[in-house]
Amino acid sequence: MFQVKNLTYKYPRNQANTIKGLDFEIRQGEIFGLLGPSGVGKSTTQKIMVRLLTNYRGEIYYRNRDLITYDKDYYQEIGVGFEVPVHFSKLTAEENIAFFKKLYHNKADTDTLMKRLGIYDDRKKKVSEFSKGMKIRLNFVRAMLNNPVMLFLDEPTIGLDPANARILKNLIKEYREQGGTILLSTHLMNDVDELCDRVAFMVDGQIAEIDTPQNLKRKYGKSTVEVEYVKDSSLVKTAFNLETISSDNLFFELVRREKIISIHSNETTLDDIFIKVTGVESYA
Amino acid sequence: MPNLVVLLFGEFKRIVEYKIAAASIVVALIWIGVLYLTEAPDITFFFPLLLFLDGTSMAILMVGVTIFFEKQEGSLRTILVTPISKTDYLLTKILITVSASVLTLVLLYIYAVIFKPVSLNFFALLGAVMLVSLFHSLVGFILSYYSKDFTSLLMNMFVYTLAFMIPTMLEHFNLLAHNLFSKLLYLAPTKAAITLLYASAGTISSGELIYALLYLVIGSALLFIYALKHFDSFAAREGGV
Ligand SMILES: Nc1ncnc2c1ncn2[C@@H]1O[C@H](COP(=O)(O)OP(=O)(O)OP(=O)(O)O)[C@@H](O)[C@H]1O
Ligand SMILES: [Mg+2]
Repeated sequence: MFQVKNLTYKYPRNQANTIKGLDFEIRQGEIFGLLGPSGVGKSTTQKIMVRLLTNYRGEIYYRNRDLITYDKDYYQEIGVGFEVPVHFSKLTAEENIAFFKKLYHNKADTDTLMKRLGIYDDRKKKVSEFSKGMKIRLNFVRAMLNNPVMLFLDEPTIGLDPANARILKNLIKEYREQGGTILLSTHLMNDVDELCDRVAFMVDGQIAEIDTPQNLKRKYGKSTVEVEYVKDSSLVKTAFNLETISSDNLFFELVRREKIISIHSNETTLDDIFIKVTGVESYA
Repeated sequence: MPNLVVLLFGEFKRIVEYKIAAASIVVALIWIGVLYLTEAPDITFFFPLLLFLDGTSMAILMVGVTIFFEKQEGSLRTILVTPISKTDYLLTKILITVSASVLTLVLLYIYAVIFKPVSLNFFALLGAVMLVSLFHSLVGFILSYYSKDFTSLLMNMFVYTLAFMIPTMLEHFNLLAHNLFSKLLYLAPTKAAITLLYASAGTISSGELIYALLYLVIGSALLFIYALKHFDSFAAREGGV
């Protein structure tokens, strides 16, 4: 769907490059996660790819054609979900959606979308009277209103309660099942685990890692089993390597002889990987 | 529906909902109040002046305020990722602004015809108002491009008023009469605007008429090209925040 080659970008007001040579591709039908610490350039990368920022260096190909050769019809095909409110605040949700919908050839069933996201009953309210979470849900409806083939989502679940986040994530998965492709930026690792087929970790304007979440876990994995037991009336904790545990006699001895309090397996989480890859542990 | 029609309906709805239309009708009523209060038995001399104030500053404000709202609430960013072309975006605001100026003209003219003797050619006024408003709606775009917030938009308007509008009016009322000054003033767009508006009273030479027409027509064309050309960097600035 997309090939990005050596993408570099500097904001006009800044001295240094924000994006410093990105290389990645997004394959048709996948959810591609763009991860990284705050301020690393995830939103900037998205803005370049939706052509809000144009003076970039490097190459971007969309459907094997250079992105700069597309005209406004590019927007007929893509959907853009921003991380901030972006509606006409003094119009109702319904009026906003109706206005934007008229600009597209393809029109989605936005009533159903609004119903599923629980904002249909509020459709006649002005957007300025919406709560933060309602605005975020409306952002998603707007991003989807032209049945896009490619969807850009910038932190779509930030600010949603768990129930609404669940609904939104289900909609995202359904969209992929119907053949949609997504670029998703986020720093919620649970979302990544659940949604993303492949992820790229950005560090200092570059991509530090790019792979499937499973492969990354394997690569950075140090899966262990922790056994807690009582010995001489005090609590003792020992860790075993999960991969070699089947031939670890010490483990079986323990289980057989001691009074076991608990056994936990510790898999490497994406959180751990995030911290390891991005190197952000503390600022001070 | 073609995009431009969709955009025009949308923009119209918004200037109503955002009370911009109401504000502009209030201003028209104020102009009518001014006409009502004038002692002059014949308002021929006065009438184009009100249209001058309206067609210049109100046109700049109309464009400036709608863009300001779009920037402030982020809807501009959404507009920028839809299939709306920049030409259509500019044309929409221009057409709405010119229509508002024409509406003011019609309201004022109806009042004048009913209550005060006025000897002005309506169609000459109509043409003049449209051209002056067109030019200044484009000035509104340029000022908006270079204003980071509403305060700086007002500041930029203030500079425009100080540099062009006030000298034009001072000279027009013979309060400032100096040969070189009067000559230099022909460079000001507001001089062309006031000249064209007073042409409807039939009191200016054809040379001046041609000057004013050429200035505003060519000026508008150049401003339009400029506004189109610099739209992308404006969009990058606003969409990138
Ligand atoms: N309009 C702008 N002008 C100048 N610099 C900017 C602008 N927008 C963002 N930046 C800078 O670019 C860098 C990347 O910002 P960006 O918004 O892309 O980060 P992000 O990865 O999306 O962060 P977050 O997770 O907090 O959303 C930051 O250092 C930011 O200060
Ligand atoms: Mg961001």
